[in-house]
Amino acid sequence: MEEYPEELRTPPVALISVVGCPELHSQISAHLHSEQPPTNTLALPDFSKISLFSKKKKDSESNPTSPHSSIGGILKRDWLLKHRTKIPAVLVALFRSEHVSGDPAHWLQVCSDLDSIKNVVRAKNIKLVIVVVHSDAHDDISEDRMIALRKRAEVDSKYVVIFNPDDTSELKQSLSRLGSTFAELANTYYRDEGRRIKTRIDKKNSNAIELNIRYCFKVAVYAEFRRDWVEALRFYEDAYHTLREIVGVSTRLPAVQRLVEIKTIAEQVHFKISTLLLHSGKIIEAVTWFHQHQASYRKMVGPPEAIFLHYEWMSRQFLVFGELLETSSKTIQGISSIVIGSSGKPFSEWECYPAYYYQLAAHYLKEKRSTFEVFARLLEQGDAFAMLPLTDEEYISYAVSEGKRFRDSIEIIALLKKAYELYSSLKVHRMGSFCGFQIAKEHYAEGDVSNAKKIFGGIASLYRQEGWVTLLWEVLGYLRECSRKNGSVKDFVEYSLEMAALPVSSDTDVQRDCGPAGPANLMQRISIHKEVFEIIGEVSGSASIEDTCDMKITKEKPLHLEIDIVSPLRLVLLASVAFHEQTIKPGSSASITVSLLSQLPGTIEIEKLEIHFNQSDCNFFIVNAQIPQSAEVNDVQGHRVEIAPSLLLASNKWLRLTYEIKSDQSGKLECLSVIAKLGPHLTICCRAESPASMSDLPLWKFEDRVQTFPVKDPVLALSGQKASQVEEPDPEVDLHLGASGPALVGEIFMVPVTVVSKGHAVYSGELKINLVDVRGGGLFSPRETEPFSMDSHHVELLGISGPEGEDESQLDSDDIKRIQQSFGLISVPFLQNGDSCHHHMLPIRQVPLLLSRIKEVPDSDQSASLPLNETNILIVSAKNCSEVPLRLKSMSIDVEDDATERACSIRHGDEDFTSPALLVPGEEFKKVFSVISDNNISKLSLGTVCLRWRRDLGIEEQSDSSGTVPWVVSEQKLPDVKMELPPLIVSLECPPYAILGDPFTYYVKIRNQTQLLQEIKFSLGDAQSFVLSGCHNDIFFVLPKSDHVLSYNLVPLASGMQQLPRFTMTAVRYSAGFQPSISASSVFVFPSKPHFEMAASSNNGVKLVATE
Amino acid sequence: MIVCVAVVGHQNNPLYIQSFTEADDALKLHHIVHCSLDVVDERVNNPKKSGPTLNETFLGLLYPTENYKVYGYLTNTKVKFILVTTDLDVRDADVRNFFRRFHAAYVDAVSNPFHVPDKKITSRTFAERVSNIVKSFGLSSAG
Repeated sequence: MEEYPEELRTPPVALISVVGCPELHSQISAHLHSEQPPTNTLALPDFSKISLFSKKKKDSESNPTSPHSSIGGILKRDWLLKHRTKIPAVLVALFRSEHVSGDPAHWLQVCSDLDSIKNVVRAKNIKLVIVVVHSDAHDDISEDRMIALRKRAEVDSKYVVIFNPDDTSELKQSLSRLGSTFAELANTYYRDEGRRIKTRIDKKNSNAIELNIRYCFKVAVYAEFRRDWVEALRFYEDAYHTLREIVGVSTRLPAVQRLVEIKTIAEQVHFKISTLLLHSGKIIEAVTWFHQHQASYRKMVGPPEAIFLHYEWMSRQFLVFGELLETSSKTIQGISSIVIGSSGKPFSEWECYPAYYYQLAAHYLKEKRSTFEVFARLLEQGDAFAMLPLTDEEYISYAVSEGKRFRDSIEIIALLKKAYELYSSLKVHRMGSFCGFQIAKEHYAEGDVSNAKKIFGGIASLYRQEGWVTLLWEVLGYLRECSRKNGSVKDFVEYSLEMAALPVSSDTDVQRDCGPAGPANLMQRISIHKEVFEIIGEVSGSASIEDTCDMKITKEKPLHLEIDIVSPLRLVLLASVAFHEQTIKPGSSASITVSLLSQLPGTIEIEKLEIHFNQSDCNFFIVNAQIPQSAEVNDVQGHRVEIAPSLLLASNKWLRLTYEIKSDQSGKLECLSVIAKLGPHLTICCRAESPASMSDLPLWKFEDRVQTFPVKDPVLALSGQKASQVEEPDPEVDLHLGASGPALVGEIFMVPVTVVSKGHAVYSGELKINLVDVRGGGLFSPRETEPFSMDSHHVELLGISGPEGEDESQLDSDDIKRIQQSFGLISVPFLQNGDSCHHHMLPIRQVPLLLSRIKEVPDSDQSASLPLNETNILIVSAKNCSEVPLRLKSMSIDVEDDATERACSIRHGDEDFTSPALLVPGEEFKKVFSVISDNNISKLSLGTVCLRWRRDLGIEEQSDSSGTVPWVVSEQKLPDVKMELPPLIVSLECPPYAILGDPFTYYVKIRNQTQLLQEIKFSLGDAQSFVLSGCHNDIFFVLPKSDHVLSYNLVPLASGMQQLPRFTMTAVRYSAGFQPSISASSVFVFPSKPHFEMAASSNNGVKLVATE
Repeated sequence: MIVCVAVVGHQNNPLYIQSFTEADDALKLHHIVHCSLDVVDERVNNPKKSGPTLNETFLGLLYPTENYKVYGYLTNTKVKFILVTTDLDVRDADVRNFFRRFHAAYVDAVSNPFHVPDKKITSRTFAERVSNIVKSFGLSSAG
């Protein structure tokens, strides 16, 4: 775009000219320029200079009526420039007021000036404005003079303006008044000119179609001066379309130049149209227009010798439109917001990206270069200048000499770079890569190898990633040549190896034109393979091929290639390592399979393989028996060397090598790498991969071929790992701790600890026992245990007992060897190798650890009261809450030691049971005590229940040894009870049982123990099962210290446990009621008289207390 | 005239690419097909641009380049078909028709139980069928 002239690139600006009063010119022109729209000013210092316009007039006068034969061209070269800088629309004549109103000499001068101005102005239709400049505010020009001036100048009265530059207050207003007047007149001028030209178009002089184009162009330019963009666009389009008509019609010029002229005009007009469209935001229209433009001129290549001009022109079209699009898309907030309609549109959204145009501009420039080079060579070979007298040939040779000065390559790179950057910013990587590829090719052609290599390298990775093998092939070919030119042996070898291993075959349809890579087929792969192995195989001393003289690998510079799991060279050599077992015993041997795969087209012979592990002791080498090893190879610092009969690696065939491996060190054993030595100075280090987690070979994974596995065993192929776990060695001394379930509180619990010797004899040793408080108290050993802190631990290590069987009596708890609490170590005696075990019994006594599990009897009421001087029944029940059967030896109530204070007597049967009672888990054992209190104290302490028990020994229970097992003593203090002296005692007396149909007597005895007369109210309810005689309700008095007896005769009517009639009474004095409990007032009724062997207890009376 | 057709897989890797030119520009056509994947991505990622063609497999004209026009087609399994033609005036209906037949051929080729998905299509039958479809491109509507 920069190569276009300024007047074409920018919109035209109206031009006026000022003459006279030069001191005011700068002020006026500055103001006009800052106006919106601006106006340019052409300042003429004095009136003599206006003849400039008249001179031009003479030149331009000759054209309009001249016949078409004299037409110089479609457009005149500087017509536009002339109108923008030389021919004003308005001429402004400034006169001083004193000159106008002053003496006649001045006035005459004014008149003559006016006359000369009029001459110039009329001929060119330039509009005239007269400005009278007041020198000070007071002078005034007479009306007559003004009229005379106007008449002389022959202008409308409103175009005679008075301007007072000294009146600062009104300066701005008068300046803008001047400005608007000028603008109005300029508009009129350009409109008139436009109309004038338009009438010529309408006449349609068919002979001069070129003139028609020129007129359209002029009208459009005049419209642009007036900022009438719509009309401008219309006439530019007319000009463009008319131009299309003369293609192939006009014969005015020799063919080449004619075409060049047409295309140049088309270019300019198209540029104007595109600019106007884009400025009004019509991107889609502009793109469509461009589309048509390039489509219609694309084929107009012209004669073959000028074809490069066509491509240059095409390139420029794309470049300029791209630039226009780029500048306008900055203002139109991005292309992406534009909605490209349906696919019915003839173009895609891609054509809104400037990068697209730059890319194609570069493409056409390249076309230009290639055609130009061909042609220029032809031209130089022949005696072109002398032989070709025709103007076209002269023109061509001129163009060629011009073209030679032009460095296309730089231009192409610049264009592509622009496209590349724009694509990159849009994250369009593939297009960008393609541009980059072309850039790199240009660099390569220019010999800028390092730049080319850098760019090629980046592109290659994209093609690798997406698996475009043919494209990768081409790029690698360039990279290989770059490396060759750079003399970088390592890169050369790497690229060569990668190329040789690419999956290209003869059915790839890319066989020619692949750049330095050569055709993409198997033959080329093989030849690359051979070439690279020749370089590798070369011995440093021997003569090298001249091509690769700097491609030598010498002894001093051996080549080492690293292949990791993301390297593209995985195709060249892939190492998979699988241990046959997941775990290995230390010291025993295990199998390991090393598998190698290569996609190189030819078979390669490996000299030596080094297998490296994380435990370097396990490293081993495999040498090829076919190749005689030099001394240094055999000298392998104590490493194991295996000899393989041959190490030939065929294309796409796994080479599987299985060896034994042994490790003495426990932990992970992992194969790290496999280093293959391929020639005297080339080693390739492959990262070892597990068959289980091996990713597919890049590029080859898309090929349709049979899948092969690194290991033959299908299980190992899917699950094999390159690492194995070496186990810990077997223990030599074993320690077992055998405890049989939980211990019980208070129990002496045996924990057997067994020390087993496996490897060899133990001569002596120490055993340290630590107890851990499971409640979170942390570790403590008996040694650390202080006497006062024992309470918090509740577990005590009592001692050890000797080996079982050594002495039976050792099981006796009394004979347990006491160990010092402050010294928790036990010495281990001599043990034979592989001999039997040795037991230590460690009795542990637990004190109140599980205290909360001794449950209190549910109905033991703390506030229980007992009547004084009466016999009370106390039932103590013990329940086995543990999970093991227990033996209960005895249950007794131990009263407090101070017998003198005894307040009650407790009686019970035998303390010890003849045989200990068996309590299965959950079973309850009850024992009845009778308590008689005879002391008049308010609170009675009953004493402590004492239980003797132990675990049930099962079968051993009957044996003699059971007698030696200690009994555990558990104690539980009974709650205190209150003692009270009851004022009234009610006794319900009936026989212990009744017989159906036999009457019996039921007594209710009420004893008054007070000194007072007691009034008693009572009632007796009916019962279904009994017939009753006696009064139901009554009130009576009981004398102090005497009894009152109520008696009833009852006949039972039903058998079984029967409820006696309900008796209720109320002591009026205490207003206390009493009702016996249901259990106290029931009796069992036999259907007939039973026969007892023993006499039944006659006394079934229940003493009850009437409380207050 | 169709100069190149391609089937492009999920990882944007070529599954089948065949050019039909006498000239030595096969590699250039590969470049064009590869670049056109950018346009496909753009279309697929910004479906609002293509408006009514939201759920359509036919992607239309992808982009014109120096002497070629590139058309695209995206199957429901996200396999891309690319067509490169030198014809300047191509009717949409012809291209649609071509892609429909090409798709049918592709479906038949990958339905072969011996074909492994995501691997290159090497079937000779498929190649012959494609070549027939390419030859008959534009004929049905012209005749």
